[in-house]
Amino acid sequence: MLRMLIVGLAACATALGAQAQTIKIAILGPMSFVQGENHWAGAEMARDEINQAGGVSVGGKRMQIELIRADTNEMTSVPDATNAVERVITRDKADFLIGGFRSEAVLAMQEVAMDYKKIFLGAGAAHSKLGANVEANYERYKYWFRYTPTKDVDLARTLFAVMGSIGQQIRTELKTDTPKVALLAEKAVWTEGLIAAAQKNLPAMKMEVVGLWQPSATATDVTAELSAIDRAGAQIVFTMLSGPVGISVGRQMGERNMKAVAWGINVEGQKDEFWKAAAGKAQFVSTLDTYAEVEMTPKTIPFVQAFKKRYNKAPTYNAATYDAIMFLKANIEQVGSLDADKLVAAMEKAEHVGTGSIVTFDKRHDLVWAVGKTAGIAVQWQDGQKVPFWPPSVKGMKPFKLPAR
Amino acid sequence: MLQDILVTGLVNGGVYALLAIGFSLIFGVARIVNIAHTAFYMLAAYCFYTLLTKTNLGFVLSGLIAVGAVTLFSVLCYRLVIEPVREHEAAVLIATIALALIFQELMLFSFGGHFLGIPSTLEGSVRLLGVSIPYQRLLILAVAAAMLAIVWYLLYRTRLGLAIRATANDLEVANLMGMNVHRVAMATVAISVSLAAVAGVVVAPVFVVDPFMWLAPLVTMLAIVVLGGLGSLKGSLIGALIIGYVEAITVFAVPAGAYLKGAVALLIMVIVLLARPEGLFGVAFEEER
Amino acid sequence: MHTGMTYPLRRAWAELKNEVLVLPSRTLVFLWVVALLALPAVYGDAYVMRILTMTCIFAIFAASWDLLAGYTGQVNFGHALFFGAGAYASALLSLKLGLSPWLTIWAGAAVAMFFGFVVGYLCLRLRGSYLSLATLAFPLIALGLLFAFPDFSGGELGISGLRRLALTPTANYYLAVLSMLAIVFGLWLLADSKFGIVLHAIRDDEVAARASGINTLRYKMVVFAISGAAAGFSGALFAHYLRVAGPSTLEVALSFQVVIWGIFGGAATIYGPVAAVFILYPLTEWLGSFRAFGELRLLIFAIIVLLVLLFMPRGLTPWVRDKIETPCPRCKQRNGSWRSACRLCGVTLQPEVPGAQRLVGHQ
Repeated sequence: MLRMLIVGLAACATALGAQAQTIKIAILGPMSFVQGENHWAGAEMARDEINQAGGVSVGGKRMQIELIRADTNEMTSVPDATNAVERVITRDKADFLIGGFRSEAVLAMQEVAMDYKKIFLGAGAAHSKLGANVEANYERYKYWFRYTPTKDVDLARTLFAVMGSIGQQIRTELKTDTPKVALLAEKAVWTEGLIAAAQKNLPAMKMEVVGLWQPSATATDVTAELSAIDRAGAQIVFTMLSGPVGISVGRQMGERNMKAVAWGINVEGQKDEFWKAAAGKAQFVSTLDTYAEVEMTPKTIPFVQAFKKRYNKAPTYNAATYDAIMFLKANIEQVGSLDADKLVAAMEKAEHVGTGSIVTFDKRHDLVWAVGKTAGIAVQWQDGQKVPFWPPSVKGMKPFKLPAR
Repeated sequence: MLQDILVTGLVNGGVYALLAIGFSLIFGVARIVNIAHTAFYMLAAYCFYTLLTKTNLGFVLSGLIAVGAVTLFSVLCYRLVIEPVREHEAAVLIATIALALIFQELMLFSFGGHFLGIPSTLEGSVRLLGVSIPYQRLLILAVAAAMLAIVWYLLYRTRLGLAIRATANDLEVANLMGMNVHRVAMATVAISVSLAAVAGVVVAPVFVVDPFMWLAPLVTMLAIVVLGGLGSLKGSLIGALIIGYVEAITVFAVPAGAYLKGAVALLIMVIVLLARPEGLFGVAFEEER
Repeated sequence: MHTGMTYPLRRAWAELKNEVLVLPSRTLVFLWVVALLALPAVYGDAYVMRILTMTCIFAIFAASWDLLAGYTGQVNFGHALFFGAGAYASALLSLKLGLSPWLTIWAGAAVAMFFGFVVGYLCLRLRGSYLSLATLAFPLIALGLLFAFPDFSGGELGISGLRRLALTPTANYYLAVLSMLAIVFGLWLLADSKFGIVLHAIRDDEVAARASGINTLRYKMVVFAISGAAAGFSGALFAHYLRVAGPSTLEVALSFQVVIWGIFGGAATIYGPVAAVFILYPLTEWLGSFRAFGELRLLIFAIIVLLVLLFMPRGLTPWVRDKIETPCPRCKQRNGSWRSACRLCGVTLQPEVPGAQRLVGHQ
């Protein structure tokens, strides 16, 4: 008992002593899921890289980075997520927060972080409301920045840019004037704006919308939807899917030998496991993505290679926690302190060249959208490989393929 | 469109029937509301996945081992967890919920929250009435039909079946007649879970496998069982087809409302219950005292 | 003057000594209330207060389930419907109409009460497992509707940016604790009254109750409404505390959670589910704070529930209560288990015959 007490006291003492020299960054994510795994993996890489290079220099003093791994359990419980935020702030004395994925939970987590005026860099949730809060009540929400992804409205701009080039390819290869597009969107608020934009923009882009199908985000069977799409004679299936339904779409399209090609957002399709999860049937499924071995920025290829070497799989967009930490480091070194208000002012003006994007923030603390900077890339699954094909301006892109007729 | 509805509804109804009949059986015989029923279905899918990808056993052997292992495991769970608290209806209920949660978390811990895909047992597809149906779906339908036939034979043509039906009819009298109702209950658990496990093995290649895959079919299955009448096997079969068709009609008739198929199915259940509180084929309530 | 000042105090002390401290269970409840009220002064840690605030909110929810399921035997598998209805109603009213959350939480409770009436009406003819499984459907149908009208409900994101009820953690804490104490004691008194006895009768034998001239249908509807209102109130508190009312308030997981709390603590006691929440919720959170196995919290939670049930199939509190207290065979009053004679009628207390325990519910 006494020995435990002494050990405990000693641990406290070292913790207190250590506190003076470390910057504590809490990584918040659903740690049993791919999103959380990537949050943590990206952060670990940044920490090791910074600490091995001597740490962060804060006003002439060298400080090491200490990560706090906090499982938010946000997939199943919103209160658990807010409790985790409260815990890392008040118990673990975290200086900065990075992470979050499920929008409903992140909205609640944002509130707690703002109560304590802690800088919170979002690395997963896309909903506009998070940034709209900053605009509506700047003094309270200014500590929130969405480091990744771009907000849902901007995702649409990327999607239509790519859609335009795929449409062109279909026109020439299939000798048709107006390619037929089926909209397949999971029933969710984030797809609403995209659907409306698609129904308005696609006819203007000389494409015909043959219908809208909305399965639930957690559906695992889309055979009924797909046979209806098949019957409508669609050539492109415009997917807006974040849940497991993305896998079923890929797989079942392959199983029924559909001639249509899938393009859009398919979050599951961004993962390395997608090909196997779809039982090797998801040939030519394409999706918006963040990381590939292309020269998006000078840092992209080395990062992706190092990540693959360390974790045996490619990073997803949630691994931008790496960039977020690097971004923090740059700003801390520039300001010379950990003071949140000073850092917010600096971060608003900063431009950061990260591994997946070149980042600047607007007045909502959302990413400023630009092709080749934050718009991301488009990838297509071809024979088990995730092949990048857009934007054409970036080095290392390969051609987009259509199913054989 | 009509052909699509006919075919899709039939295939989905077959899957649901496999799950619903097992659940109904164990409720009818032992009055256990087994929330973990679909969790066993999930376990079978994971077991099949592991055997298939980590060993060279092939589909048939992997499938048989998965079904056997999960069935044995269910009997073990029944002996260790359910039987000691059989007297207390409420305790049985949350014991099964807790079991389901334990399975879910164990799978989450050992496989992560990833969505896994199982290669199809049969590749390729066939055109039927102008609808493209993958062979895997036909296999599901065939297996479902075969399993239902086996269960029917077991229940109506064997001594064990006689005992099970007697126990379902009146537990106390069956006990007084010298039947070992505990053993009958255990046999029923094994039959019921093996049906769920078979469903897990044949259906998993069509869906994705993940630790939360038991929740959605659980709700659908409960709706079917209540709709058809608790404990009635015929009711479960017909309920499964009804729900299968209701879902198919929802998707084809209102494509933009496909996400509502679950809610519509539940609504149908509620409407049927309002008209007939004991379900379509349930036995009218004897006032149980 | 002097005696006038001290009389109420002396009276209170006498009440305390004669009514509370004589029974271990009452002493425990008394200590628990005192500890809850004194906590911010003694240990005003924001994290601990947040956990306990959530605990109190869920305790109301669990107690409301018990009135319906434990006392009346209407084992509701879709209790989250009321929680979600309260949360969404209060959130929408305060956000769209700009009403003060202090008003809208009552409106949330009222809406949930209405839902209680509706569900109660629909389920009047259902019994036993049919009722349980049918009620499971209601929150899921509601969830489908929420997704069908995203402009109104916010879809999967829910309604965020809600105004809070109180600003500081301490104020929020007291708000939750006082609401919890008021509602839980209210429900307990109700369950202990003549009304509660009728509910018992309905659960144990509805036909006999009806034959005795009780309008069981009306009672069941009223219980559904009261239980719904209490659950809706907790849902509204939850929404304004987290400042988000989302679809997770209607999920099956929450409905199952309350069933676990209710039965784990001991059904038909009101205090049982409350005790269960106060043990299980902080425990899971504490398990989650370990970095090494934080992700295993739900697994450990489920295993604990299972093990406890194997030893205490009637739930935690009835088991504990039987250990520390014995009922008098003549006047049925409870006594501390150390006593050899009843504190009220003086009859000799005999140890209970092993195995002769009363079973909860009908077989």
